[in-house]
Amino acid sequence: MLIPVLSVLIGVAMGFFIQRVKASSPAMIAKNLRLENLSVIKFMALTMAVGMLTVYALQLVAPQILHFDVKPAYVVGVLLGGLIFGVGFGIGGYCPGTCVVGIGEGRHDAIAAILGGVAGAAVFTLVYAAVIAPIVKMADLGKIRLFDVVHIPAFAMAIAVALAFLAAIRFLPTDVRKA
Amino acid sequence: MSYSATAPGAAATAPRRAADDAPVAIPVAPRTPWALYGVLFGLLGAISIIVWGPIGVSGTYPRFIGWIATLVDPAYAEANPYLKKMGSLFKPESFLVIGLLIGGFLGARLNRERAPKCEMAHPGETTKARRLRDAFIGGFLIVFGARVAGGCTSGHIISGITQLSVSGFIFAIGVFATGILSAKMLSRRAAAGA
Repeated sequence: MLIPVLSVLIGVAMGFFIQRVKASSPAMIAKNLRLENLSVIKFMALTMAVGMLTVYALQLVAPQILHFDVKPAYVVGVLLGGLIFGVGFGIGGYCPGTCVVGIGEGRHDAIAAILGGVAGAAVFTLVYAAVIAPIVKMADLGKIRLFDVVHIPAFAMAIAVALAFLAAIRFLPTDVRKA
Repeated sequence: MSYSATAPGAAATAPRRAADDAPVAIPVAPRTPWALYGVLFGLLGAISIIVWGPIGVSGTYPRFIGWIATLVDPAYAEANPYLKKMGSLFKPESFLVIGLLIGGFLGARLNRERAPKCEMAHPGETTKARRLRDAFIGGFLIVFGARVAGGCTSGHIISGITQLSVSGFIFAIGVFATGILSAKMLSRRAAAGA
């Protein structure tokens, strides 16, 4: 019972944060993808920088409390899926999560996005065995992380990537039009 | 829905209905406290990894399809390899999605703001029907693409890159390549009058 309650609460906080930075606004997402405003991209980069520093610092002191779950890097499928996702992201301005937040806010187009998503999941389920499963198995590198490729300690890798993200946040303009 | 809000005379002939129904244009991106919420979201992602695992949303869509399938045709649900692979809807991720709905509601409510019912993401979305069409097509492609890749913005990008997963970086490269391209093309096509 504890885990379902905690996961609802984590979802409430996540939805609240997404709403406050206007990541659930399709107009805001379109501006970010057109590189006119970078606030949502910076929000994501900062989230990841703080997250990686926190979890890999914790791993040094209390690795037993972390439930890492690394997704396999099947290069062809992940890249192809990303390319398809990007087209949908550019057209609709929603993610699978932000459209749920958008419904909470009262956005009508978010309902259309969810219906599209449910249709996409249904079609995917129907074609998975015939079309997707063979692609997914191509060039599977397994559940690898950056420090498995560049052999340095995990926390050092986290610091290096976080610093790169923080530098990009610091030196890129947020409002590109005004800069 | 047959009229266009930007057509000459439309505002004069159907002032109220057109104004209510047309997607709202947002010419200037609003300033947001993204730095504060970026730090908080980073810590929240770490909390989630401590509680059950990294956050993720898109897997809930096929699990929802699986749940419907077990109600309608249990034999099909049992035989479909993908639905079997994704498993039951009663997972932490599904509760997270319920939370997202509440969080969006509270975020707008506590800030005393009313999100536009329909926003113009691209200049070509001059009617509500066009905006809903784009949202539906976009929704279809994001969930289909996310399932091909095995995760979406939350699972692959936020959680994946937080864990320094190679798959997260590959997915992010794909998303931003076509995301930037399609968003820029849609604004140019509309500017050219297409």
